[in-house]
Amino acid sequence: MNKPKSRRKSNTQQETTPPGDFSFNITKVAVSQICKSVGFRRSQVSALETLTLVATKYLEALGKSAVSFSNAASRSQSNLLDLTNAIHDLSLRAGFTGASTLYDSNCLLKSSVLEGLSCFVRSTDEIPFAKPIERAKEREREGVKASPGNLQRGAHVPEWLPGFPHMGSNEKSKKRVNGEELWENSSSVLGCQIDVLEDKRNGGNGCKLAKKRTRVKFRINGVGKRMHWNRYSANNEFTQTKDEDAEAEYKNPVKSKEAQTLVFKRRKR
Amino acid sequence: MNHNPQSGDGKHDDDTALSDFLASLMEYTPTIPDELVEHYLAKSGVQCPDVRLIRLVAVATQKFVAEVASDALQHCKARQASVIKDKRDKQQKDKRLILTMEDLSKSLREYGVNVKHQEYFADSPSTGIDPASRDE
Repeated sequence: MNKPKSRRKSNTQQETTPPGDFSFNITKVAVSQICKSVGFRRSQVSALETLTLVATKYLEALGKSAVSFSNAASRSQSNLLDLTNAIHDLSLRAGFTGASTLYDSNCLLKSSVLEGLSCFVRSTDEIPFAKPIERAKEREREGVKASPGNLQRGAHVPEWLPGFPHMGSNEKSKKRVNGEELWENSSSVLGCQIDVLEDKRNGGNGCKLAKKRTRVKFRINGVGKRMHWNRYSANNEFTQTKDEDAEAEYKNPVKSKEAQTLVFKRRKR
Repeated sequence: MNHNPQSGDGKHDDDTALSDFLASLMEYTPTIPDELVEHYLAKSGVQCPDVRLIRLVAVATQKFVAEVASDALQHCKARQASVIKDKRDKQQKDKRLILTMEDLSKSLREYGVNVKHQEYFADSPSTGIDPASRDE
């Protein structure tokens, strides 16, 4: 009678692990599945943990590299090119064919690393993970559904404020003004006709602004003095001048007749 | 650096091959589950709603681990083929395929990971109990 109790106790003691270990243990299961598929029958605990640690570090390094690539291209979402660059960076150590001429050819996606991955997908049998994993997001959503009052506003928002706009109706704002799309969402990747995309691109007159932008001015205390952002000063500081002086100072370096006539017209008024 | 993928001569072939590969990823379930990959990618700051790209990362990691493990297996076989030649039972052959730190550190060194391991760990609770139960 006593023995199973003591076993249970030891089990519960093993289960109380820090939360970072949960993902590590799942990775350990996946890595041991891969080791078994390669041909190993058994494994040392330390060796398996080392390989698991290396695998997690690989994933994180891949992510960090992809993020730095996408941030360098001033995007927040990573796309296929960022991930391809990241995979290239990590496989440079082992080397691959075409690594030296990777950036000479225009097509980054022609690389042998991606071909190797597709060969790997074709040649390797699927070994799905042992158990389904519940997503953290789904759990959170279920908790939110239980209290529908908290769906729109958090506890810090006072009740007399109007409700937030519905998140589902936000799809229109995701599309860009000129109908451009991200490359990975374009029809060339999704397998539709490429010609349609090119026609669109040729037809629409791309990045030209519909209207010429006017200069932005603003008054402070309104007594004929204006704050100007003096873009020709080397120090890049605010200078406070009278209106007409600033106008002349702004227009002179341009030296176009139109600009000067504009200034004269204003003075006549 | 401007990596424009669409300005190549043979872009149609590349695009079709690539789209086929990405489409095949939708049906392929890697051993490393999507949730795990999403977790680690989110930990390092990646925002990526596309399932295909998550699968791509999973496949890349799986390939990496499989390559390391198969290299370790080759090291293991080579080491044991040189030592044991008189006992060729099939059972023992199966038993001998054990992933050890020695082979793993050799194979990881080729991938740029230097593993320094001690011969004997004294800080693990399962160290001195039973050598048979230590193997998983």
